[in-house]
Amino acid sequence: MRKYNVDVVYGIYDDEEKLLHAVRQAKSKHLEIFDVYSPFPVHGMDNALGLSESRLHIAGFVYGAIGTLVAFLGMTWIFTRDWPIIFGGKPYWAVPSFIPITFELTVLFSAWGMTLTFYTICGLWPGVENPQLDLRTTDDKFCLAFNTKDVSISDANSFFSESGAEEVNTKSI
Amino acid sequence: MSGGVVAPVRRPLIEGHKTYHQITEDLCSPTEKAPSKAWIIAFIISVSVLAFGLFCIFWTIWMGIGTWGSNRTIGWAYDITNFVWWIGIGHAGTLISAILLLFRQRWRTGVNRAAEAMTIFAVICAALFPAIHVGRIWVVFYFFPYPNTRGSIWPNFNSPLLWDVFAISTYFSVSLLFWYTGLVPDFASIRNRASGLRKKIYNSLSFGWTGSAKHWQRWESLSLVLAGLSTPLVLSVHTIVSFDFATSVIPGWHTTIFPPYFVAGAIFSGFAMVQTLMVMTRKILKLQEYITIEHIESMNKVILVTGTIVGVAYLTELFIAWYSGYVYEQFAFFNRATGIYWWSYFGMMTCNVISPQIFWVKKLRRSVFVTFFMSIFVNIGMWFERFVIIATTLARDYLPSSWSYYRPTWVEIGIFIGTIGLFFTFYMIFTRVAPVVAIAEIKHILKVGGDQYIGENATHKNQHDTHSLSSTNHH
Amino acid sequence: MNSEHIQLPNKDKIILSILGIIGLISLLYIGANDDLGHTRLWTNLLHNSVYFTLVALMAIFFLCVNVTAYAGWDVVFRRVWGSMSYFLIVGLLLMGIIALGVYFGWHNLYHWADQHTAETDTIIKGKSGFLNKNFYTIGGLGFIVLWFFFAKKMRDYTIAEDDHGDGRWAHYKSMKFYAALFLPIAGFTSAAAVWLWIMSVDPHWYSTMFAWYATASCFVSMIALTILILIYLKSRGYYHGVTSEHFHDLGKYMFAFTIFWTYLWFDQYMLIWYGNIGEETIYFQTRIQEYPILFYGNLVINFVLPFLILMRNDTKRKYGTLIIVGILVFVGHWIDLFQMIKPGTLHTAMELGDHASAAATHGHEAGTHGAHGHEFKMGFTIPGIPEIGLMLGFVALFVATTLHFLSKASLTPKQDPFLQESLHHHV
Repeated sequence: MRKYNVDVVYGIYDDEEKLLHAVRQAKSKHLEIFDVYSPFPVHGMDNALGLSESRLHIAGFVYGAIGTLVAFLGMTWIFTRDWPIIFGGKPYWAVPSFIPITFELTVLFSAWGMTLTFYTICGLWPGVENPQLDLRTTDDKFCLAFNTKDVSISDANSFFSESGAEEVNTKSI
Repeated sequence: MSGGVVAPVRRPLIEGHKTYHQITEDLCSPTEKAPSKAWIIAFIISVSVLAFGLFCIFWTIWMGIGTWGSNRTIGWAYDITNFVWWIGIGHAGTLISAILLLFRQRWRTGVNRAAEAMTIFAVICAALFPAIHVGRIWVVFYFFPYPNTRGSIWPNFNSPLLWDVFAISTYFSVSLLFWYTGLVPDFASIRNRASGLRKKIYNSLSFGWTGSAKHWQRWESLSLVLAGLSTPLVLSVHTIVSFDFATSVIPGWHTTIFPPYFVAGAIFSGFAMVQTLMVMTRKILKLQEYITIEHIESMNKVILVTGTIVGVAYLTELFIAWYSGYVYEQFAFFNRATGIYWWSYFGMMTCNVISPQIFWVKKLRRSVFVTFFMSIFVNIGMWFERFVIIATTLARDYLPSSWSYYRPTWVEIGIFIGTIGLFFTFYMIFTRVAPVVAIAEIKHILKVGGDQYIGENATHKNQHDTHSLSSTNHH
Repeated sequence: MNSEHIQLPNKDKIILSILGIIGLISLLYIGANDDLGHTRLWTNLLHNSVYFTLVALMAIFFLCVNVTAYAGWDVVFRRVWGSMSYFLIVGLLLMGIIALGVYFGWHNLYHWADQHTAETDTIIKGKSGFLNKNFYTIGGLGFIVLWFFFAKKMRDYTIAEDDHGDGRWAHYKSMKFYAALFLPIAGFTSAAAVWLWIMSVDPHWYSTMFAWYATASCFVSMIALTILILIYLKSRGYYHGVTSEHFHDLGKYMFAFTIFWTYLWFDQYMLIWYGNIGEETIYFQTRIQEYPILFYGNLVINFVLPFLILMRNDTKRKYGTLIIVGILVFVGHWIDLFQMIKPGTLHTAMELGDHASAAATHGHEAGTHGAHGHEFKMGFTIPGIPEIGLMLGFVALFVATTLHFLSKASLTPKQDPFLQESLHHHV
């Protein structure tokens, strides 16, 4: 089990609209949110939390560009320098017939690079046991958590009762 | 998604007034219960068929390619037909996940998971054929370029067959990533309901997913880019398969329309196979409320559209063969329709172009019974299409003294049936270990697709207005 | 807001008129400075007529696709497509003039239309069942009338729905019926029209892909023109309901179909290059050797630039980048059609010029330049200033037609079942 060594206080909501509302409320009250858990991606949540835009697609572009270069330059080197082959009366450097493989490797590098990056930066991997606050957050409950260092338990309690949380709990993770 | 406002003419995609919890319950439970008797019997049959297929593969490798019916004129026949057929079937999953995303077709959420799984299994079946056909299967890794001690000889990168190796490997592995990344949150749902060893296994499968907001944000970003990458990728795969034929100078093969026409045919047959599986899956796993008649009708419409595109392509080929004024080209098409293999041409035209036209009738495209039979029909038709292109063309080439006839041997038929066994074995295992319908995605569209929110019998009619006011204008 | 009608400022009407006059002057200029056969004049007329007619066809085609596919997002501006498709009336007139020309031998656009050739050239003779004056006239014009019939149906129903629509959605259902019916009809007839109008200018050459390729070209232009017209109308204070979300989707379509066009271009080129059959490669041979700027420029303008610019998300939402890319691909695909048509007609003019002594003695310099290739001759190997002037004239004609029909009814369908979805559209 991975340890964060923080004490959290968290509220459970039964609807994503309520969760979204609570997050906006917490933001307007300048309460620092530890994390939010939901069974599916909630539309508008990243904006409400003020998350910066994911830069994953930029990484994907870079990986893809590497794939393009590897494929195209690789084939160019092989067929003009290392082992030239004539086929069908075409020149050694037969650009049109390099295109399909270049395309495939672009996609391959980009997709694999991005996916591996995603799992790495999220700390997700086979065998990893990430701490969970409430098991029902992969079912039908929505959870908003504060670090008790940032928000005192009493503040959190009043916030949760105001924003319509069903339950409030604490946990050390 | 259109911000929570749903047009009054749209019909619900999730029936039975589901709550989030019921969705989890309905979709996770098939993996938690002991298999039914029907499942066990079907599984035994699949595995037996697979075993026979494996025996035939072993026979081929042990005895040599001479056990097949291919001859010097018709060097490509049954195995390539099957290869192209399976690859074509393997197009629907990615199409549903990626291209229908672009076209904003919400109904894809009900079927994308199973269709993607099917894609992966179909590609495995397809990849078997070239691997066997090379003869010396133990050196099949020569396909791939790697620094070697044979004077550093490389594969021929100018050969469309090698492009195929790259296309199919890429397609397989990227589809797998796409599919698995979608499965990760759903495995977490199963994990959180399980205990003991099962919990440990599903925790591994779910990579320790927690559902944190930042993870969801990245997950959505990744899914979107993978969808964007998969869209041209799925087009490229069958395009490159068509290049195997179209780059040659054989009349009937060398035609520029092949790439888009193969892709349309692939989507056509892929959807047909999805229909075959969905009609059975929804019944056996009792998922009629998630894979509704609405879904089936939408897929039948895709079948109608792609069947007609294929029809346009057939007629284009015929017309241009006449228009070309090139006697060999004209003969090739005349031979297809009236030559020794006229029956396969007839089967192709009937099953692919004519019979799907019954889906113009609303009643028929909403009938589960008709859908099931049509889906089988289309798959037969698409098999014939590949056979027409490959065997018929080769049987009558430039040199009349070499004209020949091909018929498959029991070994070839056995391998083909074996791949069907392989396909169903994989699919049946899949229905036992993973949710067949994407849980998180269904929950995501519940409020715009559930029958308590939209449609004639909706109980939450006013939900839409509050919904649209509270949601923000971002993205 | 939904019932807004447009009323164009006079200044804009004057600008459109000026563009129209520029087009007319260009036409006259070309006609006055042309060779005796007026090859340049007729080629330009054919090029623009076909291009804008197909753009109008693509508008009604995409409208029908969206109706059939339950797409709701575009409803707020769907009438722009409906109005664009009414250019088919003008297209009918223009193609009618060209068909009359085929009939009465006013021009040398089509080699097969020449009596002597049709009898002596075996290949062309073999095609005479399709490539003949009657089919060109009746078939070609018949297709346009058929397309217009569906455009009119769609428009009549959506306008009737404004006043008589109710919760039974009868008009919507009729539209769905006609839209679905139109798709296969458009699929077959558009291919035949492209063979007839464009591919037959190189009557010996053929490619099964060609029709889909040319149609994809016009589809991208149609999306680009839609974006440009919408941005214009927004700048004049109309279409408040059209937000950057709608532009984002249109931008995605422009991006996706730019790639699709490139895909078709590559397939056709690569397969012919790979097969290396002389009868087929001559098509690209001519273009690479004699029209290199157009051949390579085509790829840069229609693929490289829009691909790189539209790859980012924000460029699909900003007017600046959308206008730049819109103009780029609109002109780019116009150039694409230019290089589909020009080499063939030029070749035909020269061939026919050989036995039409009048044309041969009267200079025919343009043709000979084209044959030698290495010099650039405006209006022949690259579009000249009069060609661009003529294009502007056609753009004005197209936009004026669109705006005319757009102003006849409310800008947004008032009773469409998808209207609210469209107004609340976000990605």
